[in-house]
Amino acid sequence: MVDEKKLQDAVKKTVSRDDVKYVVGYEKGTYGFQVTPSFAYDPKDADKFIFSPLCVYNLAVFPMLEEKPPLRKDQEPDTRKIGVVVKGCDARAIVQILQEKGLNREDVVIIGIPCTGVVDPKKLQAQFPENGKNMDIKTGKDNFIITIDEKTHTIAQDKLLDEKCKHCEYPTPILYDILIGDEIKATKKEDYKEIEDLEKKSMKEKWEYWEKQFERCIRCYACRNACPLCYCKECMVDQLSPQWVRRSVNLSENTAWNLLRAFHLAGRCIGCGQCERSCPMDIPLMQLNKKIEKEIKELFDYIAGIDPEEKPLLAMFKPDDPEEFIL
Amino acid sequence: MKYKKWSEADKIIEKFEPNIIGFLCNWCSYAGADLAGTSRIQYPPNLKVIRVMCSGRVNPIFVINALQQGADGVLIGGCHPGDCHYERGNYLARRRMAVLKKLLEYAGIDPNRVRMTWVSAAEGNKFAEVVKQVTEDIRELGPMQHFKRDNTW
Amino acid sequence: MEKYTLPKADLPKFIKEMIGKNRVYAPVENDNVTLFKEINTPSNINLDFINSKIPPKSLLFQQTETLFKFIPGTKGKIDPPDLDDKKTVIFGIRPCDAKSFAILDHAFTGDFNDPYFINHRKNTTLVGMSCTKPGINCFCTSFNDSPAQSKYLDILLTDIGDKYYVEVTNEKGKQLAKDLKKHMQPAKESDTEKKKEIEKKAIKQITRNQKTEGITEKLDKIFENPFWKEVANKCVSCGTCTYLCPTCHCFDIQDESTLTKGARVRVWDTCMNPEYTLHASKFNPRPARTNRVRNRIYHKYNYYPKNFDIIACVGCGRCIDLCPVNIDIIDVVTKAGEVKL
Repeated sequence: MVDEKKLQDAVKKTVSRDDVKYVVGYEKGTYGFQVTPSFAYDPKDADKFIFSPLCVYNLAVFPMLEEKPPLRKDQEPDTRKIGVVVKGCDARAIVQILQEKGLNREDVVIIGIPCTGVVDPKKLQAQFPENGKNMDIKTGKDNFIITIDEKTHTIAQDKLLDEKCKHCEYPTPILYDILIGDEIKATKKEDYKEIEDLEKKSMKEKWEYWEKQFERCIRCYACRNACPLCYCKECMVDQLSPQWVRRSVNLSENTAWNLLRAFHLAGRCIGCGQCERSCPMDIPLMQLNKKIEKEIKELFDYIAGIDPEEKPLLAMFKPDDPEEFIL
Repeated sequence: MKYKKWSEADKIIEKFEPNIIGFLCNWCSYAGADLAGTSRIQYPPNLKVIRVMCSGRVNPIFVINALQQGADGVLIGGCHPGDCHYERGNYLARRRMAVLKKLLEYAGIDPNRVRMTWVSAAEGNKFAEVVKQVTEDIRELGPMQHFKRDNTW
Repeated sequence: MEKYTLPKADLPKFIKEMIGKNRVYAPVENDNVTLFKEINTPSNINLDFINSKIPPKSLLFQQTETLFKFIPGTKGKIDPPDLDDKKTVIFGIRPCDAKSFAILDHAFTGDFNDPYFINHRKNTTLVGMSCTKPGINCFCTSFNDSPAQSKYLDILLTDIGDKYYVEVTNEKGKQLAKDLKKHMQPAKESDTEKKKEIEKKAIKQITRNQKTEGITEKLDKIFENPFWKEVANKCVSCGTCTYLCPTCHCFDIQDESTLTKGARVRVWDTCMNPEYTLHASKFNPRPARTNRVRNRIYHKYNYYPKNFDIIACVGCGRCIDLCPVNIDIIDVVTKAGEVKL
């Protein structure tokens, strides 16, 4: 369990620095179990910062969303840092961005939190659909302790834990300036069972499965906008000349979009699951991302977001890369 | 002899003729195709060639877009490893296509619809062989129907 | 208003009768997602839902709509649109979503009459289903509406235990009800009482409330307030709120063509995207998320009431349910009302 007092103190200290613009963390949301991103511009803003198993959101997206309006002649650019509260997986997103030089190391202050796993909001909603006044979750020894209006329930971790946390290999941020609490040793291992099950099906079954998923897509691009690694200035689907993907919403364009989105994250996706959580139509996008993650691990022995000094996967090569598919 | 209408002629040729788009690199594969032509080596006319400067130029979006617009298969031709005019383009293309093929397979689209080959400027024979094989493979797979644009208008 | 009751067991027959002469859309559940889809048999319908993920506006103002077809080039020609005249019934629509159509009417008629929307609207009869179990983010009562009101519907069904209480409100509803009468009995006084009771119970279940009093005038005064920056800080510009809003109606027009033919299509667009306001000169009048989030609120609570005297929000709660970062329109508007000048 993370000591919230320690977190708030660290945030206060960071915000007080002259070279820090703001720190982004979590606060309680407006209803139910909601937790929402919170911005501290002032030390006193830090008092509302929390950390609980509900803090599932990947805040690494916010430094990438900073708008840089054109400057007037006598204006100096704002070079102050942005503080980000990160879990193990979110820290990998920052590492990956640093690796791609989307950010410089001196642009961010990373406040790391060793994380024992967060809950899946959809599973939680299904189990406790009611809306109470005082809703909270704490991590117990091997369960979650849920409080709704003074009443407490305990529930096994497996039932609520987010899919990504069940196989988390990096619970402690691999890069941080300040670490709240003690490091946690990784005990879990990625097994890609869900992916392998789908792989085993016939071509026809696989397509029928994905056809049903892609048909639903409304192309709101929430998956793209919520993703910390999707930070292109102009996304390929917004391009008009040439217009690779048409705007009309049908199976053909939806498939093209979903496959290309997954491909553009090849070797970059760190598996935070933000896209799938943001998807209003519940398309299992992580199944695509995980598949690519699995393949690049097998083909190129590469894992995204663990070494800021390494070169991005698709921008480098080894002469002996596998090529049995080449005629 | 009676004049046959086009629609009837269509019915006679029932055999499926695949439509294959080839992205061939300017320095090797395209020259290889040229050599096959000047050497009068026969190969199936199903391949429609688009010349690119390097196989590394081939963005996966080209492949997906070709499949959307009615191609039944895509062939990407580059220089042999180490021979790339730009030193590393074909190596990068190799990585990209390896991932793309796995992704397509996972989505239920036969990865054999997207092929890659190394053909040098001196390998006219190999080029013809490759095109023959790819055409046969795709003929067997049948028309690409998964996410072809239907252009209902 | 005509009032009937319909035994629950007869509902499939009732729907079958409608399918015979109309194209019927109804809520269908697939992979835990409820959407309005065309149905051929009554068995597909799922009535145990809070509300559909995509609002039924998608049936009248379709996400992708072909405006006309054309042949490009010097010998080009334009095919006028073929407007489909088939009678349509939307069955199971919620009263809040029905109200959204009344709001959309203002946008699509008036100075310019949108033939596509009007055609769909003209041919569509709304057969509603009252909410008896509102969701946690429903707040239709904030606009003096009720989860069981028949005001914007042609026919409204309310579940009153073993039968449905049927209200036929207007001419369109009567037309449809003509063929359906054989399944229904005239309602008794006790049934009317029961419906009122159920309506009250449903209203009681709505716990969230938005303070909309005087919001239109208040918004006029706080346009430049830093409050909007605070709200928009956490927005990721994803556009879910606008795509799934039953009253949002912005669209983009695109020409899609091959070498020989093509069509002009209309697709949904969202003001949350920076591209939405981007000029050809690369100038963007709404460059930051602050401008865009503010625009969404202002459009609903200021511009629309000023032009058409109705707030362009029906309180369905979809944008709150599905916002990935918990930007809560109830909270935002309530707080905007409390901003100190």
